[in-house]
Amino acid sequence: MPKAEIAKKTLLGVVPVDSPFYRFHPATRLMLLVFLSVTPLFVDLPEINLALIAVALFLLRWGKVQLGQIKRYLPLLFTVALFMFTVAYLAPGDRAMLTPFKLLGLTFYLEPIWWAFVSYCRLIAMLFGAILYFSTNRERDLLVALRTIRLPFAASYVLALSLRSAGMFMEDFATIREAQQARGLDLESMSIADKVKLYTMYAVPLFAVALRRADEISNALFARGYTLSARPATGGKRSDYLRKQYRLLARDWVAIAAMGLVFGAVVALRIGWGAFTDDASLLKALFRWGVGV
Amino acid sequence: MTVRWAVEVEDFSWRYQQAREFALRDVHLKIPEGSFTLVVGPNESGKTTLMLAIKGLIPHSLPGTLRGTVRVFGQPVEHTSAPVLAKRVGYVFGDPEAQFTALTVEEEILFGLENIGVPEEEIGERIRWASELTMVADLLDKPPYDISGGQKQRVAIASVLAMRPDILILDEPTSMIDPLGKDQVVQICAELKATGSMTIIVVEHNVEAFAHLADQVVLVYRGQVVRVAPPQEFFEDLAFVAQHEVSPPQVTTLFALLRERGLYNGALPLTDEEGIAAGWQLLAGEGR
Amino acid sequence: MALIEVEDLRFQYPDGTLALDGVSLTIERGEFVALIGQNGSGKTTLSKCICGLLRPTGGRVLVDGIDVAKRGVKRELVRRIGYVFQNPDHQLFNSEVYDEIGYGPKNLGLPERERDALIREAAAVAGVHESLFHEHPFFLPKGLRQRVAIAATLAMRPQAIVVDEPTTGQDLRQSLEVMDFLSELWRRQGHTIVIVTHEMPIVAAYAQRTIALCQGRVLIDGPTREVFTHADLLAQTYVKPPQATRLAQTWTALGVRPDVLTVEELVAELERVLAERRGVGTRRAGS
Ligand SMILES: Nc1ncnc2c1ncn2[C@@H]1O[C@H](COP(=O)(O)OP(=O)(O)OP(=O)(O)O)[C@@H](O)[C@H]1O
Ligand SMILES: Nc1ncnc2c1ncn2[C@@H]1O[C@H](COP(=O)(O)OP(=O)(O)OP(=O)(O)O)[C@@H](O)[C@H]1O
Ligand SMILES: [Mg+2]
Ligand SMILES: [Mg+2]
Repeated sequence: MPKAEIAKKTLLGVVPVDSPFYRFHPATRLMLLVFLSVTPLFVDLPEINLALIAVALFLLRWGKVQLGQIKRYLPLLFTVALFMFTVAYLAPGDRAMLTPFKLLGLTFYLEPIWWAFVSYCRLIAMLFGAILYFSTNRERDLLVALRTIRLPFAASYVLALSLRSAGMFMEDFATIREAQQARGLDLESMSIADKVKLYTMYAVPLFAVALRRADEISNALFARGYTLSARPATGGKRSDYLRKQYRLLARDWVAIAAMGLVFGAVVALRIGWGAFTDDASLLKALFRWGVGV
Repeated sequence: MTVRWAVEVEDFSWRYQQAREFALRDVHLKIPEGSFTLVVGPNESGKTTLMLAIKGLIPHSLPGTLRGTVRVFGQPVEHTSAPVLAKRVGYVFGDPEAQFTALTVEEEILFGLENIGVPEEEIGERIRWASELTMVADLLDKPPYDISGGQKQRVAIASVLAMRPDILILDEPTSMIDPLGKDQVVQICAELKATGSMTIIVVEHNVEAFAHLADQVVLVYRGQVVRVAPPQEFFEDLAFVAQHEVSPPQVTTLFALLRERGLYNGALPLTDEEGIAAGWQLLAGEGR
Repeated sequence: MALIEVEDLRFQYPDGTLALDGVSLTIERGEFVALIGQNGSGKTTLSKCICGLLRPTGGRVLVDGIDVAKRGVKRELVRRIGYVFQNPDHQLFNSEVYDEIGYGPKNLGLPERERDALIREAAAVAGVHESLFHEHPFFLPKGLRQRVAIAATLAMRPQAIVVDEPTTGQDLRQSLEVMDFLSELWRRQGHTIVIVTHEMPIVAAYAQRTIALCQGRVLIDGPTREVFTHADLLAQTYVKPPQATRLAQTWTALGVRPDVLTVEELVAELERVLAERRGVGTRRAGS
C-alpha cells in the first residue's frame, strides 16, 4: 500500500512531517499566530514590523516550508499595496496641513504616503503571521488548540465547521479545475487577463457545487449525531479524544512564556512610555531625505 | 418467543420536495433484530430513499411530504434525536465523499465516536480496530480527499463501523472496492452478524458476494417493495429477478441455463462452493 | 507509432506517496484495454498521467508522439485522448447539459456552428436526448450523469478515451448499456478504449487485453483470457477472476477448459464436456 508519508497537507500548503513545528503543541502554535498578528497592532515603527515579517519568514524556513509556496501570495501583497497607496494619493486629506513633494511629475503628500507605508507594513506583518500559521497547521491542530484553551464548545464547533467547509470548498475548486483541464483548459499557456476572466467564470459552477456540498455536509453531520451541544442527547459527556492525543511539554511553556513576555513588554512600552511610534523611524528620515523635503 | 423488530416501516410514502412523484409508495417492511437484509433493485427505484427513511435523514434533514411511519426498535424515527439515531443506526453513504466531514481520515473515523460520547480510553482502540479491518490504517493522517476511490469507500465504512451501531446500513458499500476487498467486507458483515447483536442492511447491485449471507432479500422496484424472500427462494425465480433488472450471481445464471437445457435439475446454487459441488456432481456423477 | 507509450513512469504525490513506481506499457490504436488492480494500486493516477492531468515525476508518457509533460500541449492532447472521471460528479460543473458537453469544444476555440454540431453528435452517440439539454446535470439520475460525462469527453473527438470505473453504481441494464456503447465506439468508430474497473465480469466480457497493476507497478499484462488463468498472481493485487472463470478452473480435472470468460461460454463448455462423456458412454455401451 502507500509508501512512507513525508509531508502533511496543511490548510494552505504542504509541510514535511519532520518540520520542527510539529514538536510543539498546537496551542503553542496558535499562540504564535496570536503573537505575530496582534503585536503589530501596538507598533507603528515600520522597522519593527519589517523585523516581524523577517521573523515569520525565518520561521517558515526553519519549519521547512518551501518558500515557493509563498510566491502565490505575492499578487495579494501587491494588490493591497496598490490599493493603499492609491487611496493615499487620491484622498490625502486636508492638503493645507500636508507637506507636498513631487515625483515623476505628480504631486504627492508626505504624511499620507508615509502613513500608508506604516499601515502597509503592519498589515503585511499580520498577514505573514496568518500565512505562517495556516501553511503549517491543519484544521485538527486549530481544533485541538481551541479545545486546549477551553473555548466554549459552540464557538469551536462553528469555527471547526467553517474551516472544514472551507477545506472542502478548496477541494471542490481543485476538482473543477482538474475537470476543466481534462477538457482542454490550458492554464500554463494562458495570459494573466485570461486567467482573471477564468476565475470569475469559476464563480458560477463553484456556487452550485457549494450549495450541494452544504446539503451533503448537513446530512453527513446529522448521520453521525453532531449537534450544537457539548452533551450528546444520549446522556453522558461528549468525548474529547483529539485533545488528549497532545500534551503541553516544557518547551511549549517556555515558548508561550517568551511570547507572552515580549508581547507584554511591547504593550507596556507602548501604552506606558509611548514607544514604537514612527517618530523614531530611521526609514522616515531616509524617506524625507529621499523625496527632498 | 416473539421476534423483536429492529425496523418497522408501515404504510410509508415519501415525496422529495422538488419531485413531482413519490419516490416511495405504501412501503411495508419489517426487519427482525440481528438479521441480515439484502436490498436490491434497479437505479432510481428508491433503495437509498428507503434507507434514508430508516436512518431518519428523512424527514429530519430532507424536506418533503411524508405519510406513514418508520419505527426503529419500536420508536418512531420522526421523534428521535440525531445523536440517539446516530448511536442506533449507522449509515454508510453510497457516495463516500458525501459523508466526509473532516480533513483527516483519523478525524473522520473519530468524529462520530466523540459525538456519541464513547469514552476516550476506548476511542483509540476502536479507531485501530476499524481502520485495520478496512485496511486504511496507513492512511489515518491523510486528508480523506487525497486517497483513491476505493480507499475513500473503505474510510466511509470504517467511520461508521467504529461507532458499532445497533443497525448498520451499507448503501452500495463495495462499488469501488477491489474484488478481494469486497469479500473482506462480506466477511466483516458475516462476523458482525455472528455476534447476533447487530442488524445489518446492505444495498447492492452486485449481489454475488452477499446473497448467501442474507436472511431476506428485499426487492425495491419503482418506489415499492415488490418482494421479500429468503435468498434461495428469491433467486430461484430467475425470470422475475431478470424482469426487475437485478443481476443474479453468475453461478445461479449458469445452473438456470443448464436447467433450461435439461442438463441439471437441482436447486440453483448461490455461492462458489455450492456451484462447484453441483458441477462435480453433474460432471463426475454422470461418468459413473 | 503506438498511440500511447508509457516509459518507466513514476509519480509521487506532494505528500510523498509513491503511486507509480516504474510503469512501462504501450497501447496501440484500436485496442480495448482494461486496467485492474487493488485499491490504491495506481490505476487512477496512471490514467490521469496518460491524459496529461498529472505531470509525471519520473519517466515519460507519449500520446501519439506528444510528450504530455510539455507545456502548451493540452489542447493537442485532448483531441487525442479524453478522460472520464471515476466519479462523474467530479467532472460536471456547468449549469446546463448543453454547456457541459460544449465546454471542451469551446476551449478548443471552435466556431459556434461547428460546436453545435459536435455537441449534438456527441450527445446522440452517448444517448443523451436533446430534451435534456437545458437540464441541470447535477440533478440527473446517476446513469445519465455518467453519459453526459462521456458525451462531454466525446465532443472533443478524441481518438482514445479512458473511462475510470464506467459501471460503478449502475444497475445491470445501465452497466450493459454503457459497456455496449463503449464497445460500439471501439468496433464501429475505431476508438481506442481504456477502462478502469473492479468488475471482472465486465472485463471478461469486453476487454481484449488486461493490465493488472500492483503497488504502482505492472503485475501482469496480456490477453484477457490468458490473464485470468493466473488466479494466484492476480490475488496479489486483490483481484479474482469472474465467477464463471473461477468455477471452470475448479473443474479442470473433469475436462473443462480453465480459460472460459463468460457464463455463456461456460454453458457451452459444460455441454461439450457432457456430450463427450455421453459419446464415450454410449460407444462403450454399444461395443
Ligand atoms: N434529493 C432528492 N430530491 C429529489 N428527488 C430525489 C432525491 N433523491 C432521490 N430522488 C429521486 O427519488 C427516486 C429514488 O431515488 P433513490 O436514490 O432512492 O434510488 P436508488 O434505488 O437508491 O437508486 P440507485 O441504485 O441509483 O442508488 C429517484 O427517482 C430519484 O430521482
Ligand atoms: N491526491 C492525492 N494525494 C496523495 N496521495 C494520493 C492522492 N490520490 C491518490 N493518492 C494515493 O496514491 C495511491 C494510488 O491511488 P490511485 O487513486 O491511483 O489508486 P487506484 O488504483 O485508482 O485505486 P482505486 O481502485 O481505489 O480507485 C494510493 O495509495 C492513494 O492513497
Ligand atoms: Mg442509491
Ligand atoms: Mg481509482
